Amino acid sequence: MKKIFSNQYFLLFGRIVIAIVFIYAGAEKITDPKGFSQAIYNYKLLPIQTINFLAITLPWSEIISGILLLFGISVKENASIIASLLFVFIVAVALSLIRGLDIDCGCFGKGNPVGWKKLGENTLMLIICIALMAFDSKIFTLNTKKTD
Amino acid sequence: MNKKNLLSIIIISISIGLIYNYLNPNGIPFIREERILEFVEEDSLSLNRDSINIVITDSTSIKSSTETSVKTEVIGQKEIQPLPTEFTKPLAIKIDKAYQLYKQGVKFIDARMPEEYNEGHIKGAINIPFDGDESYRDILKTISKDEILVTYCSGTECDLSILLGDELFEKGYKKVYIFFGGWNDWLEKGYPISKGGQ
Repeated sequence: MKKIFSNQYFLLFGRIVIAIVFIYAGAEKITDPKGFSQAIYNYKLLPIQTINFLAITLPWSEIISGILLLFGISVKENASIIASLLFVFIVAVALSLIRGLDIDCGCFGKGNPVGWKKLGENTLMLIICIALMAFDSKIFTLNTKKTD
Repeated sequence: MNKKNLLSIIIISISIGLIYNYLNPNGIPFIREERILEFVEEDSLSLNRDSINIVITDSTSIKSSTETSVKTEVIGQKEIQPLPTEFTKPLAIKIDKAYQLYKQGVKFIDARMPEEYNEGHIKGAINIPFDGDESYRDILKTISKDEILVTYCSGTECDLSILLGDELFEKGYKKVYIFFGGWNDWLEKGYPISKGGQ
């Protein structure tokens, strides 16, 4: 298993997929901040005062980490940011499923309900991010400095 | 992992987000305000009944002179109404008032997803799923801005009726009611329902 996860081509593929997903997800949220704020509110997990701060900053975190990951800049750092976000998303979606909330996940704009599929996708991406954090992706990168 | 890099990326992302939101005309306030539902009082609804008649008369094509005189008369009544017929924001109503409006032929809008709508909805209600495709909103082109509308969703726990109500209000529908209690209360009371798509 370790051989697969440490394979540079696997890591490159994973890096590009996650980067594209997060750039797209971030861009969708930026175009509709009101909608994203509502999506966070619907989870009913956070105090109302913190919701808009997250709705304003989180999409940019997704986009910037996504772009940097795409170009292989500070892969470990960006993978850890995205892994943290994914962990939060997984917990939020899982809690909503347990509580039986029939809400939109707010992942890619409107029309994505929370569900087991979403949980599976996020878990898969989290695994790839952990692999990127552990083994780094060293091919096709713009990184000139060694970050370790 | 370089912690300095990590921190820099996070700080830069947050800063860009805040600056972009500040400059964006569609930006949102830093602190979210809670949406408090304002319920209609008994009296205000009965006063609005006259305005309901006006809408119905206005939307019907007038063929005879008798009908024309009726219209003028009703509008005359409207002019002496002390209360404004337009709301400052969508108003919430409960089951009894919703049924009262239903009997008066007011248009009901189901804000749930089409699957739920098809399983069962208030008889005669149209479906505009708030989280659905924009194409569902095309039906609004056929609805006059003066018309009284009632939005509803599953029950007291859902927000879709409030969100759709607010959206319609922003689009220029100034007589929007939000039926708090929605489908669950309606079903419990055994009021008219129908199944299938629109």
